[in-house]
Amino acid sequence: MKPTNNDAHERARQLIALAGPEAVSADRLSSNAWLAAHLEGCASCRAFAANSVDAIHALRAIPIAAGRALVSTTQLRVRHRALELQRQRERLWLVAVCCVAVALSALVSTFVLWRGFEWIAARAHLASSVWQVAFLVFCVMPTLITAMLLLAKDNQLPPHTDSYRG
Amino acid sequence: MAQESTEIARGLRRRDPDLLDRLIEQYQHRLLRYLVYLTGRRELAEDLFQETWIRVLERGHQFNDKYAFSTWLFAVARNLAIDAMRRKQPSSLDGLMNNNDDDDAPFDVPAIAHASAFDLTLQREQGEHIAAGMQHLPAEYREALVLRFQEGMSLEEIATVARVPLGTVKSRIYRGLSALEPWLRGAPL
Repeated sequence: MKPTNNDAHERARQLIALAGPEAVSADRLSSNAWLAAHLEGCASCRAFAANSVDAIHALRAIPIAAGRALVSTTQLRVRHRALELQRQRERLWLVAVCCVAVALSALVSTFVLWRGFEWIAARAHLASSVWQVAFLVFCVMPTLITAMLLLAKDNQLPPHTDSYRG
Repeated sequence: MAQESTEIARGLRRRDPDLLDRLIEQYQHRLLRYLVYLTGRRELAEDLFQETWIRVLERGHQFNDKYAFSTWLFAVARNLAIDAMRRKQPSSLDGLMNNNDDDDAPFDVPAIAHASAFDLTLQREQGEHIAAGMQHLPAEYREALVLRFQEGMSLEEIATVARVPLGTVKSRIYRGLSALEPWLRGAPL
């Protein structure tokens, strides 16, 4: 299909817009022979090119500068946040170290207790299932006792609604 | 440039505050200009400017040194701008267009030195027209024009920042420039 005249204008204008003002200057146009030839014969596209160049130059001439106060406030805020993040990271690191230490000590104490129960059971001639259940109860006991105490404490507290009654 | 990006990436992973100070100094005008054009409001742009650098600090490890730092920086700023506008008005970048009701003109056109009185007046007038025209353009066109002609970014870089296909970038630049043309000829201010 043969390109229409409108297509040629559209193509020329797109080339101008995408190339920017430097490329539309006379000496650079030689690199695009088609555009140069089109501009020579088309006054409206030539005007578009000239207007585009002016628009881009005008656009570049509008200075929007950050004020000193904005920059220093930003720098201060960034430093403050960096410090916060560093402290957060240190706290996380401490928590992680504590978790590892607790896990390790739990592992070691479980192993020692297991051996201890085994040794006592051997001396007392107990069946292995008996001392193993005893070991399990011993391990679970602190949690059970704490849970029971907390439940008992909750039951002893007066209901909330009572405290607001006059 | 690759060397510079690698150094920046390394510093950002360490959250080096001195590096961030340097980057803020280096990119202050470019970033603010981009945000002012994107949002059309100086005050919001300044808030986003600060938020952008905080985000750069927090998410610095995500910076890929294969790209230029400015490309990533503008992408971060853009996301924050969109989030800010969504909080205010649930829509996309198009929502930024409807915020030109403020009285304060974000684009200040200064007097230009080293030119004749006539040139000065002409340039100032052109600047005013373009500034007014920019405010009436859809935000995505403004963004494309600023990144292309003020920041000198390549079309590919703009596509990365705006997260749109290359063809869309080309069309936005063309349409934006075409829409700006009548303003240069002295269209209604």
